[in-house]
This record gives sequence, C-alpha cells and structure tokens, in this order.
Amino acid sequence: MAEKDTLESEKRRRAVSGQSVMFSSNEVRLSVFQWIVVLGLVGVFLYLVSVFWVGMEQFEAESDYRFPYQLSNDYWLYKSYCQRVCAGEKTVIIGDSVMWGQYVKRDQTLAHYLNELAGRDSFANLGIDGGHPAALCGLIKYYGGAISGKRVILHLNPLWMSSKKHDLQVSKEFRFNHPRLVPQFFPEIPCYRASISERMGIIIERNVPFLGWRRHLQLAYFKDENGIGRSLPEWAMAHPYDNPFRVFTSEIGDFAEELRYEPKPWTERSPTKLDLSWVELKTSLQWSLFQRLVKILQERKNSVLVVVGPLNEHMLNEKSLTSYREIKKNIEVFLKEKNVSYYFPTVLPSESYADVSHPLSEGYSFLAEQLFDNDVFRGSW
Amino acid sequence: MLFQSWIFLFFFLLFYAVYLAVKRTRFKNAWILICSYIFYGWWEPWFLILIAYSTLADYAALAIMERSRRRKIWLSVSIINNLALLVFFKYSGFITENVNLLFSLLGMSYKLPLPGIFLPVGLSFYLFKSIGYVVDCYRGDVEREKNIIRHGAFVSFFPILLAGPVERAKNLLGQLRESLKISWQDVADGFSLFIVGLFKKVALADSLTLYVDKVYDTPGEYQSAALILATFAFGWQIYFDFSGYSDMARGIGRMMGFRIMLNFNNPYLATGLGDFWRRWHISLSSWFRDYVYIPLGGNRKGKFNTYRNIFVTMMLLGFWHGAAWAFIIWGGLHAVVQCLMRGLERSRFYEESVPTIIKQVFVFAFVTFAWIFFRAASWDDASVIVRRIFTTGVANPNFPLLFVFLIFLVWLYQYVYESRFRWILRNSAVRTGAVVFMILYLMVFASSSNEAFIYLQF
Repeated sequence: MAEKDTLESEKRRRAVSGQSVMFSSNEVRLSVFQWIVVLGLVGVFLYLVSVFWVGMEQFEAESDYRFPYQLSNDYWLYKSYCQRVCAGEKTVIIGDSVMWGQYVKRDQTLAHYLNELAGRDSFANLGIDGGHPAALCGLIKYYGGAISGKRVILHLNPLWMSSKKHDLQVSKEFRFNHPRLVPQFFPEIPCYRASISERMGIIIERNVPFLGWRRHLQLAYFKDENGIGRSLPEWAMAHPYDNPFRVFTSEIGDFAEELRYEPKPWTERSPTKLDLSWVELKTSLQWSLFQRLVKILQERKNSVLVVVGPLNEHMLNEKSLTSYREIKKNIEVFLKEKNVSYYFPTVLPSESYADVSHPLSEGYSFLAEQLFDNDVFRGSW
Repeated sequence: MLFQSWIFLFFFLLFYAVYLAVKRTRFKNAWILICSYIFYGWWEPWFLILIAYSTLADYAALAIMERSRRRKIWLSVSIINNLALLVFFKYSGFITENVNLLFSLLGMSYKLPLPGIFLPVGLSFYLFKSIGYVVDCYRGDVEREKNIIRHGAFVSFFPILLAGPVERAKNLLGQLRESLKISWQDVADGFSLFIVGLFKKVALADSLTLYVDKVYDTPGEYQSAALILATFAFGWQIYFDFSGYSDMARGIGRMMGFRIMLNFNNPYLATGLGDFWRRWHISLSSWFRDYVYIPLGGNRKGKFNTYRNIFVTMMLLGFWHGAAWAFIIWGGLHAVVQCLMRGLERSRFYEESVPTIIKQVFVFAFVTFAWIFFRAASWDDASVIVRRIFTTGVANPNFPLLFVFLIFLVWLYQYVYESRFRWILRNSAVRTGAVVFMILYLMVFASSSNEAFIYLQF
C-alpha cells in the first residue's frame, strides 16, 4: 500500500535528503588530478593539430595562384598561404578585389602581368576579395605576420573613401565584408553591431590559433553548396547519411575559378557618371586604418610601395573628380611625410575598366607596364 | 548573458576572483547579490526593478507575518503579490485573447486591446522560489531570513536565476548562512558538472534544434517519418537543453561551494509516469507536489479527490510552462495518463512481470507523443502533426545519422549507468576519456552557440 502523500512523509523525505544533495545522474566526476590529465591531453591535441595540420594539408600555391574567394573568410588558411609565399623571395601584392582580380581570371591579374614582364615568378597575389582597408589592417596584423622583411606592393583603392557607407561611418547597421578583421572596440565602427560577447569571441579567436583552425575546417571542408562554412551539425543536416570524416582529404577542395562577374567594359554595364560623396581624409575611418596598416608593414621591416588606384576617372562627374584629385593630393602628402614609396598610376583607357575601380585584363596589363616604366618601382624591384 | 558566452566567462572570472577573497567574510552575500543583479540586469536593466520589488515585498510580508497573529493573511498577501506579477507579465496576453474569444462567441464586437507585455526572463523561476520560501516560513520548516542582503542573494542567486533549479530555502538559504569552504575537489566537481552541461547544450541540443525547427516550422510539408523523428528529436533536445542548463548552473554553484539540487535524473529511463515526474524537472515537480498537490489533499481523501488533485496539479504545471492552451493540454494529457496508469504502475503485475525495457519504451513513447503539444507553434499545428503522423506515408526523413549516433551514445550511457554494469562507467579511463571526448567535440565540431535556452522563455 503506497504511503499516504502527507506533509509528514514529505518532511521525512526532506529531512533525509536535507543538505545531502545527489551529485549527478552520471559518473562523469573527475578528481583534480584527472582534470589535470584531461587538460594535458587536450593541450597536446591542440598543439599537434596546429603543428601537423599545416604539413598534412596539401596546398600548392603555384604560379598565378590567388586565394579562392570562397575562402576569403578563412584567415587561418590565409596565414598559412602567407607563410608559404614568404618562405621564398617573391614580392607580395596586398589589396582588395582590385589586386585579387574580380573581373579576370587568375592569369589576367596584375601579379600575372608583372611576372610576365619580369620573366619569372617574382610576384605573389595576396589580394583578398572584399578586403577594404579596415579589414586589410586586421588581416595583416593578426594573420600576416610572415610578411616581414619583404618587398610589398600595397594597393589603396580610394573607392573605400567615396561615401560614408564605404567608409563604415553610417550609424544604420549593415553587413560589410570581413567584420571579424575590423577593430572590435576601438575605433568604434557605428554600423557594426555585434554583441560584446561576439566581439570578445572574435578577439580570442585571433589570438588562439586553434580557433582559427576550427573555422578553417568549417570553411574549407564543411562548406555548403554556396561555399559558406558550416559546423558539423549544419553539414550533417545537408548530408544526413554521409560520413563526415570523408570530407577530410589531404588536399583542400578544388575551388572553381569561375568568373562571378562578366568581364565587360563599364560603358556596357552602366554608362552613367557617378557623383560620389567623398569623405575627407582627416575624418575617414578607412584612411586612418590604412595608415595603421602602412605602419605595421614598416615596423615589420618591409619595403613598402603604395600604389593608389587608378580609379576609373572616366566614370566620375566633374564635382567628384575635383574632390578625388584633392584627396589624392592629401594622400601624397601623408606618404611623403612618412617616407613611404608611392606611385599614382595614370588613369587607364576607359574601355579597360569594368566598373569604377576594377580593371579588365588589358587594364592590368597597362598597369603592369606603367609600374615597370616607373623609376621608383624599377629601383626597388 | 548565456552561460556558454564569452561575456559570461569574463563576468565569472571577475566574480570568482573577488568571491574567493570574500567567501568566508560577511561580504560574501553582498558580493553574490551585486553580481547577481549585474547578471540579471545585463538582459534588461528594468528587470531589476521587478526582482527588487518582489524581494522587498516578500521580506516585508515575512517580517510582519512573524510578529502578527494573522499570519495566514500575510502569507496570502505575499503569495497573491507574487502570483499577480506572474499573471500580469506572463498571462495577461492569454487572458485578454480568451476574453476576446468569449466576446466573439457571445456575438459582441468589442475587443480588449492586447497588452503586449514582455515576459522578464527567469520570472517564473524566482517567483516560485520565493513563494516556496514564504510557505516554508509559514509552516515553520525554515527560519525567516532577517538579513535583507542574504534574502536578496537567495532570491537572485545568479547560477539558478534564469531557469532554475527552483531551489528550496532550506538548502540554498542554509548554505548562504554558512561560511563556505571551497576545496579543490569542489572546483573539479564544478568543472565536471559544467562540461557535461555545456556538451548537452551546445553539442547536442543545438544540433537537434536544426532538424526540429525545420520540420515543426512547416509540419504540413512533412510526412510521417520526419514528423515522428522530429518529435523524437525534440524530446531529446528539450532534455539536453534544460538539463544542460541545470548542470551548468549546478557546476557554477559547486565552484562557489554550493550544492544545488539535482534537477534531472535520466528521465527517459523512467518505468512509469510517476517515476518520470520524479526524474524530470525535479525541482518544479516537487514544488508542485509540496505546495499544490499535498495541500489539496494529495491522495488522502479517496480516489476521486486524488484524481482531481492530480489533474489540477498537472494542468497548473502545464500552464506554468506557457500562456497557451497547448501547454494546458500537454499537462492535461499527462494527468489523464497518470490517472489511468496509477493503479497499473502500483500493481504487482507491472512491478514484477513487465520487463523494465518495455516499461521504459512505453513511458518514453507517451512522453514523446505529449511533446508534440508542447513544441507545436499552435493547436492547429499540433493537430496537423498528429493527423499526418497517422495518415501520411513514409518519405525519406533525411534525419542525420550523426544525431542518431549522439542520441544513442547518451541513451546507452544512461542505460548502463542504471544497470548492473555501472562499474564500467566508474573506471577512471572511461571517465577521463568521456570528458576528453566532450571537450574535443565541443572545440572542434560544435557550432558557436548563441542559441538561448528553451526554458528561458518560461
């Protein structure tokens, strides 16, 4: 006969349980020593992964190689790429999609044409798709440590100062490229609204290589059909019956070199002239972080040549052009003050631009020839 | 801030550093109180007004009750005050909707405006904790806490503030009154509890939610197999999510030197519905037992009253979970089956002749079925799901084998734990290996979790 559910019986039950609380409903209870062993084993794993994975993963940065745009957010791999490139004597070219070659194939980029003119594989394309100056600064600072004691062509795309939005100074939140690379707290970026916890996580990831490696796994192996990196559970949802360990091959997946944008002149795309609302250099966030980037490269004993533009001036209206020329003058003043080698290429023929900043194949060829004809460039390289 | 966030780690490290210095001084409870308020206010600063008001109101009511000859009146004032807060913030929308429904059924065109009140996180938990404490004081089971700081620390104790366990004053207040010693083993135990909880939440619950949400968001697009598996997955998801939170809360408390009650005891190994409720959300089910079921009479006044008391208790328990008919129906389902099974579960035949695994399968099957009403977005969705489970074909459900593997691993572990082979799990290498597996899985494969806990919505 079940005991009556009385207060007294409950009191007896409580008196027995009282302060003695059951530890858990499982046996996962380690002693202090066992926790030390666990942390040791985990530490060994983290160390081994960071040392051996780089060696295990085959990644041939052959001639005309450029970092796949599908892996643009894989900064751990970018760091590995930098290390491979900088092991040799190549000159590295750093910049955004202009240097990367958004409208051209990889054998039609600036790096390719420079190599052609040089007669050997002397230039490496370290451009990154969507790499605005704020992102490039973070990329080189945290992941480009191997770029030290090298010759560097650093491209400045003035388009990033052509509006408050490009300059990341609008207060309305919007998604911009590479938020994980920009300063998380200072200087404040008004349109960047990640939570404090997310920002802290990003800062920790920058300083803990293992976390970058984990992101690399997601981006390089557990990616979805759109190339977006996924966690294992997310990947499993898309591949419910597949073995997840099969995605790990010794080679990083083949990332197709299809052109995302049709390589045609801007006049066939959108022939209207632009009226750009340039941001003054002294208040520009992108410019201030570009300056920081130059300083970082110089502090790492790199020989830096800043190449500015050339923007498609054919596409600017009179007012924009005037403002742009003023900005170029101020950029030149800064570079002179800081003793930084620089070059302002002349504007390319109109038909060799795909849009306001990206050249087409012949545009890169012209640009390469200009560089080779330039005394500063020839003197250093 | 969620336990699995970086900001919480930062907060806890700062809290703990000072806590270790003051844990044996009179500043201990003040520090707990301050940090608990920071923790709670991080969600929304105005929540602090509510918790402070509830704390001060109960403190005052208890002080007066102690001196008054009309103790029951002050008990009632405190309970009504707390329930009024709950009704206002949690149920006013539901009440308004149903009054409007009644109006339309009566042919009236007038409609009350919907209040649109935001439910403060953790409200249901700390109010119930407070109510339990006031009743215990009234009954003489616990001595009234005269120190307002300590009382405040009890109500707002941050490890359990948001989603329980609904601790009893005798346990928690008792420990707040003590000068605590924290041994290295306490810290190790805290880590053990926390890592298990973190694994359950991030590696398991947050994975299963991908499938459950996909199917339950549009149940009309799925057939029987997918609906069954999504329901099965939800049963495990809610268990991992809620027990994971409880484990993390207990782990944090343990590192602080506190022993917080166990809240889940392998509920899917229950051999009867009564057994299930002694294993699931133990703090809440025991609260309803002690403060609703037993005061109503329990099983002392005949069969009819027993069933009535079970019904009332389970319906209220369901209603506690949310302001929707689906939760009441969920509670009602449990009440019906519990009443039907009560006699059977206590029979010799059931106890001795029915194999344990059969009992467990039956209980699990029923509990999983009942989860449909708990999880479905609406009564209509629940109806669609139930109907389609029994009437549609068996198309490929695309349920990831990885999830099957993980659930099976956990179930097997629990089964072995409650079997005569438990000694295997006690083996040092097995325990260490399990923790290494959990940590590495979390670090390598789990997604960065920003998913809130399911029970925060209650």
